[in-house]
Amino acid sequence: MNWPTRMDHDTAPYWAGLRERRLVLCRCEACATWIHPPRACCPNCWSDAIGHDSPSGEAELYSYLIQPTTPGGAPEIVGWAELVEQKELFIVAPVQGMPLDNVRIGAKLTLGFEEAGDTHLPFFSAGEGK
Amino acid sequence: MTGRDGKKVAIVGIGSSRLSRDAGRSVGALALDAVRAAILDSGVPRERIDGVSGIYSTDQPTVWPGYVVESLGLQNIVWSNCSSPPSANTVAEGILAVAAGACDYAVCYHSKFRWDTVSGAARKDPLRRAPRGAFDPAMTLPLVESSGVPNGMFAAMTRHAHEFGTTREDLGRIVLNNRNWALQNENAVFRDAPLTMDAYLAAPPIASQLSALDMDMPVDGAMAVVITTEERAADLPHRPAIVEASSNGVTGGTDFFFRAFDSYASYRVLLDRLWKQSGYSAADMDVVNIYDGFSSLALEWIEAVFDVRGEAAGFLKDSWDADSGKLSFLGRIPMSTHGGNLGEGRVQGFGHVLEAVRQLRGTAGTRQLDKAELALVVNGNNPVNAGMILRAG
Repeated sequence: MNWPTRMDHDTAPYWAGLRERRLVLCRCEACATWIHPPRACCPNCWSDAIGHDSPSGEAELYSYLIQPTTPGGAPEIVGWAELVEQKELFIVAPVQGMPLDNVRIGAKLTLGFEEAGDTHLPFFSAGEGK
Repeated sequence: MTGRDGKKVAIVGIGSSRLSRDAGRSVGALALDAVRAAILDSGVPRERIDGVSGIYSTDQPTVWPGYVVESLGLQNIVWSNCSSPPSANTVAEGILAVAAGACDYAVCYHSKFRWDTVSGAARKDPLRRAPRGAFDPAMTLPLVESSGVPNGMFAAMTRHAHEFGTTREDLGRIVLNNRNWALQNENAVFRDAPLTMDAYLAAPPIASQLSALDMDMPVDGAMAVVITTEERAADLPHRPAIVEASSNGVTGGTDFFFRAFDSYASYRVLLDRLWKQSGYSAADMDVVNIYDGFSSLALEWIEAVFDVRGEAAGFLKDSWDADSGKLSFLGRIPMSTHGGNLGEGRVQGFGHVLEAVRQLRGTAGTRQLDKAELALVVNGNNPVNAGMILRAG
């Protein structure tokens, strides 16, 4: 598996986290703003002190597409999961446990991981976490 | 747009290649077709052209200015520039260069080509193989490509429908307007392809809300303009299109894959600047040429231009003339009389500029409006866009 295709100084912690089944996001150490996609500087306070943290995994479905996520695969829901930690903090990932003909924006989602070669990829399940 | 000397800037030449699904010419040849046509139309002698600007970065392979300069023997270039799509961006750069005195006569172009990366039908054609390289200006594509490269613009439309109840029929009015105007444009790729609302609604969705009819058709085609000062324009053959305002607008999440939800906010930034700079309002416009790479982008531009956020559905319904199958905003303002990208083909908004100039000159043929003194052009989405207000000089 050719994954990830590319990483850099900012995104490497994200990939390292996925290997350990953890979602690792940038978070400003000065003002606690969550930052994703990864960036080297805080858009809120301009601090260079970018640390990393893992969110709770609770989210709400903000919007979505229905498309195959693998070449030749069956269509799936690709969701914009808005994490409860912060407004418009999105993880874009497949959503499971929801019929394709009844996708509900605003539905509660819970983060999970599935194996992909020597790493893991995030997905979300419909419903509250256990 | 006022220069250092207090004088305004004007578009004085327009040119286009033929637009077609297969021009039988290279992307470079198309650029040269458009640039030559624009310079000849302007009446400016070739040796006086001293600025050149093209769309080059962040898009499918295009043609950079050096190619145009060499190929057309332009020997006095003192200003050159590459800018990102949409097309109005290169025009905006030329406006700024002339206003600042960086050059006297700028030619600005964009050349589009039906590469195999944008057209399934092109994949068997060895002359259409695009150089490989990911289009990923925000450098975040690897974070989402496991999900099959989701296009956030579709998700933005889904969210819009969720918040405001927008339907396919609302988008259909935009598409039909542009396709019906295209029937009157001999250079449009859909010039002989009438479309009914029933046929539009029956088109299979590619993603929620949007079908292939909501996306512009990839074509081979290039367009160009020549820009100079209003003062110099007085010595040239055509009635100039005076630039009353020119702006970009960038804000919020600027990543197509993660956050395409902020386009409306960026449009408001751009338009607020245009209205303030020009002293005009939407109601003063005689025609509005609104970007329609996707019909859903046009929908939010319309909301921003006419200050009807969340009310596009009712606004479009009120503006719809069933007899002509066209829109008429505020009871009198037509949209994209050339047919937009949806009718004319994917030139990334350059036709919107050329048509504004034609209307202001009074040379739009069967599409000519009775009154055409002021035109609004808006192109693109967040974070790559440009807009301008043009006035008949």
